[in-house]
Amino acid sequence: MMKNIFKFFEQPQFENPSVIVGWNEDAGNLSPKVIEYLNRKIKSRCFCEVEPAGFFSLGAVAIENDVAQFPENRFYYSETANLVIFKGSEPHFEKYRFLNAIIDVAEHYCKAKELFTINGTISPVAHTSSRRILTVFNQQRLREKLQGYGLEDMTWEGRPAISSYLLWVARERGIPSVSLWPEIPFYLAAGEDFQAIKLILRFLDKRFELGLDLKELDEKISDQNSKIASLREENLDINRYIGMLESALSLSEEEQMELIKGITEILEETG
Amino acid sequence: MGVKLYKEPELKNPMMFCGWPGIGNIGIIAIDTLRGALRAEQFGEIEPYEFFNPRKVLIEKGLLKDLDFPGSRFYFQRIRNQDLIFFIGQEQPTEGRTRYAEGQKAYQMANLVLDVAEKFRCQRVYTSGAAITQVHHTARPRVWAVPNNHTLIDEIKEYENTILMSGIEGRGGQGTITGLNGLLLGVAKKRGLDAICLMGEIPYYLQAAPWPYPKASKSVLEVLAKTLDVKIDLSQLDNLAKRVENSVEEFLETLYSTEGIPAEVRDEIERLKHTRKAELGPITEEEQKKIMEHIDELFKGEDWNDEKHL
Repeated sequence: MMKNIFKFFEQPQFENPSVIVGWNEDAGNLSPKVIEYLNRKIKSRCFCEVEPAGFFSLGAVAIENDVAQFPENRFYYSETANLVIFKGSEPHFEKYRFLNAIIDVAEHYCKAKELFTINGTISPVAHTSSRRILTVFNQQRLREKLQGYGLEDMTWEGRPAISSYLLWVARERGIPSVSLWPEIPFYLAAGEDFQAIKLILRFLDKRFELGLDLKELDEKISDQNSKIASLREENLDINRYIGMLESALSLSEEEQMELIKGITEILEETG
Repeated sequence: MGVKLYKEPELKNPMMFCGWPGIGNIGIIAIDTLRGALRAEQFGEIEPYEFFNPRKVLIEKGLLKDLDFPGSRFYFQRIRNQDLIFFIGQEQPTEGRTRYAEGQKAYQMANLVLDVAEKFRCQRVYTSGAAITQVHHTARPRVWAVPNNHTLIDEIKEYENTILMSGIEGRGGQGTITGLNGLLLGVAKKRGLDAICLMGEIPYYLQAAPWPYPKASKSVLEVLAKTLDVKIDLSQLDNLAKRVENSVEEFLETLYSTEGIPAEVRDEIERLKHTRKAELGPITEEEQKKIMEHIDELFKGEDWNDEKHL
């Protein structure tokens, strides 16, 4: 285990927990919101962090929304939920070593039994349509164990996301893992998709019997939906585009851009 | 992490030939064509994980099937009394933002390649790449040869269509070799191993183009084939070179007709077509900068990096 790259704050006792991995950047802000919500609700505490040197470019500090940022890669633990949560950023360098570091903590330190990653996948679906959680497993047994949760199989070939790479590293290390990819309507990808956030939290709630109260999110979903509904009434083009998506029809690139612009503006204006 | 050998062939003083992607993919096309023509057999690889990120993931019905990493593979073959090792790298390791090797990882990779060379008591290592110069795309490219010690110079002087740096107008025997080609030469020198880098000429206005430049690969291959005294069927390379030349012609014609590049750049390119190599003076940095500003602009956005990742 690469001890020098970790900083431990506590030495909690683990009981073969499940590990949930979320990333700081994600479509519909899904991953960070799910992790923040979960951390808050299950009262988890940070027990370890991965030092950024060697993994992130530290020659400059990024500024986002007026605030200076710094790469944070932290592990949290909730004893009552028996969950370890990792929230981090995709490293700029040494991805293989970084992902192995995550697995090191999960395997050697926590003796984790399984690992879940959370990401949004941008999709040409309407926000009013029912969303699917697409899944990728790194072994068949876990796939069988999670039958009955309404998850759907993903089939895809192309450039790998960091979660797919983590799944592969976990497989090499013998840790059963799954990536959860809820669909995010493309016009909500740049903002927050509360529906998808709730979908994942509901899955985690059921899987780990967390007893989460998701009312807070229901209000946000209802608020977001009513803002979009008002825009549809005012703007016939936007209404037509969403209607087409609801009927599983595809939009031209220009129509997609117009829809993204309209929705982003209304959601930003109204907070 | 390091070198994984599937078998240890008994080789006698082999020569090693190394190729990896670079400008116009001149080196890798030359070396890989030679490897393919001689039907060399794979016997090992450098494990990719510390050097490269995966290029592709294969997911089928909800199951992660595979991750595909760039390969760095060793092959061997025996022709008559000469044993050969080939090293073909599908990417150059880099820590920065360039396409070409630099930093600690590149140095580590060069050392791993040469570990294999030393293990099998290689007598010499050849690398290959591109020489960016004032040459027209219709001309036959020469090969620039750079050895890592003086004792190889006399031999290189006998190579056909090949020049040393001192033979290039305005160079005075000076220059630089970027990426793994240069690094390997240097690390081999440090280890006391003979190495020669053969660089096929490519027109400076095509250095940023997304196409290969097989015409220069052919020039390099001709030198290697002569050195090894083997006959290589170059017809496929010729066909590819012809196709690329036609594409370049069409591309330039379109630019000329739409005034996509300034008249002075067009005149400069056309001048090369009618100038003999001996008459070409060195291009000034200012002239090259001016021309490349336009050419680079034209090739921008050729990378398709907007693909989604899963």
